[in-house]
Amino acid sequence: MSYLKIENLVKTYNKTEVVKKLSLEIKKGELMSFLGPSGCGKTTTLNMIAGFLDVDGGKIEVDNESVQHLPPNKREMGMVFQNYALFPHMTVFDNVAYGLKLRKVTKVEIKRRVQEVLEMVRLSGFEKRYPKELSGGQQQRVSLARALVIKPKVLLLDEPLSNLDAKLRQQMREEIVEIQKELGITTIFVTHDQEEALAISDRIAVMFEGRIEQVDTPADIYNHPETDFVSQFIGEVNRVRGKVLEVYENNKCKLFFYGSEQIVSIHSKQNSEIDFFIRPEKIQILTSPSNKGDEIKTIVERKMFLGPKTRYFLKIEDNHIVADISNTMINPNDIHQGSNVFAIWKPEDLLPSRKGR
Amino acid sequence: MKKKRLPSFVLNFSCLLIYVFLLAPIIVVLLSSLTTTEYIVFPPEGLTFRWYAELLEHPEFIHSLLLSILVAFLTAIIATAIGTLASLAIVRYEFKGKEAIVQLVGSPLLIPSVVFGVALLQFYSWIGLAASPLALVIGHIILTVPFVVRLVVASLVGFDRSIEQAALNLGAGPFKVFLQITLPIIKSGIIAGAIFAFITSFDDLTVALFIVSTDVVTLPVRIYTYMQYQYDPIITSISSIMILFTIVLMIIIERVLGVGKIFSSKNQ
Repeated sequence: MSYLKIENLVKTYNKTEVVKKLSLEIKKGELMSFLGPSGCGKTTTLNMIAGFLDVDGGKIEVDNESVQHLPPNKREMGMVFQNYALFPHMTVFDNVAYGLKLRKVTKVEIKRRVQEVLEMVRLSGFEKRYPKELSGGQQQRVSLARALVIKPKVLLLDEPLSNLDAKLRQQMREEIVEIQKELGITTIFVTHDQEEALAISDRIAVMFEGRIEQVDTPADIYNHPETDFVSQFIGEVNRVRGKVLEVYENNKCKLFFYGSEQIVSIHSKQNSEIDFFIRPEKIQILTSPSNKGDEIKTIVERKMFLGPKTRYFLKIEDNHIVADISNTMINPNDIHQGSNVFAIWKPEDLLPSRKGR
Repeated sequence: MKKKRLPSFVLNFSCLLIYVFLLAPIIVVLLSSLTTTEYIVFPPEGLTFRWYAELLEHPEFIHSLLLSILVAFLTAIIATAIGTLASLAIVRYEFKGKEAIVQLVGSPLLIPSVVFGVALLQFYSWIGLAASPLALVIGHIILTVPFVVRLVVASLVGFDRSIEQAALNLGAGPFKVFLQITLPIIKSGIIAGAIFAFITSFDDLTVALFIVSTDVVTLPVRIYTYMQYQYDPIITSISSIMILFTIVLMIIIERVLGVGKIFSSKNQ
């Protein structure tokens, strides 16, 4: 059962569609990320859901009630902003209590609920402080508490961590997931940081140019990207080209890659050329040829030590690829710039490109 | 690299000089109002409050003081309301003729006040508005709105509108958002604007000269005309009252609203 339903949502600025017939269903209690580069329409979509922007077409439903005609103050959604957006003239307590006061909750009840939610974001004892007296991370916790205390139907997080430094960002995102799961609140998390999205989401909607490219679990987004954009945007990829030598039954082809032959599950025609993407960590390096004949001869152009792994820049004929190899597998001191090594990959790790097939 | 710093007494000394420069005329006026002589002299010869008592025999000064306060008060309130709304429109909305309005609102700062006074006189006689507190207030509103707009616009320019969105999101209607969120945040700009408007109006001589009549005379005009015939310490005593009134006003506002923050460059 979907709780938040978006149907054919459209937003137009100066005759350009920035959100193009976007449809999406989010289940109750789910944490859905909107992930995409800037200008992909993710924040615009969020603002339409929150009611800050009028929709130019389509429907937004929460719990089977359409809300797109409601003003933002009637939508019962809790929003956390990138720049915290705390009320500078109010204390932490008053910031968090603001939504409850508007709802005419009794003083005793306000006090109880504010304390409860401040405890949840680990800010007990900060009630009397003003926002300017808090660090960025603390301010964002207040902002989260302020949104949660009204028990909103949907929690909207607009790049909530992008103003924080890396360490804090990681810590905060774990806390957000913890609280989100504890409360079971339906949540939309807008981010341009793919690592963040992969780490916290139940599902991710990858967006590009006003459209949703793919909605899937983080693992499926990463391992089974459905479009070229998703392949290239999520994680890193190398592009390799293969030529079809033979077509077999059950959609299998024998392909020729830079001097080696592999059988890949793909539907194609004899002699056509296919581009594939392959992730750097899916490439293995051998210092001597295997005996299976699937290895590809390469030259090490450069290497980069990255702590647990080493990144090798390899030249294959006129193509350049990178391979990330764990330092426990191969000692980086064994491979030098200019040495000849052999790259291998598993056929199932190849992600076929949709273009030029 | 360590920057060479001037010794702190240089700063202290230059501050002292500036204060002396700014405050000396005021102190001269205050002290010379206490002289026992029949003419204004500094330093005062002897000490007496005689000239303050003498003021009671010139009720026209007291009337003018009250009129000036009334006019300045009304001017401050109305100019602040108009200026604040104009600033909101200028900063937040795009509309046709916006640039023209910005220039128009700012123009009283560019026009010499003598010219403005003449223009106002002509205009009032054309529409048949006689000299009255109302005529003064209208003139002063035109004169002071630019100050209010400048100060309020400045406080609106850095305003993060997601703060208002946050309040909307929590369930406050647009009017509540304005009263409970926007207004308190830009409060300092508005109060500063109101103070400027009050003082500008209270202080105005040039424009008022063209509008006043025999029974509607503001204090600056009263002092000015009195001085043309007499030069006794009544002038300095009423001036001292003006100064003290302004100081008391500032102290009250400071106590009630904390104006110290308003004019300080530090972010509150």
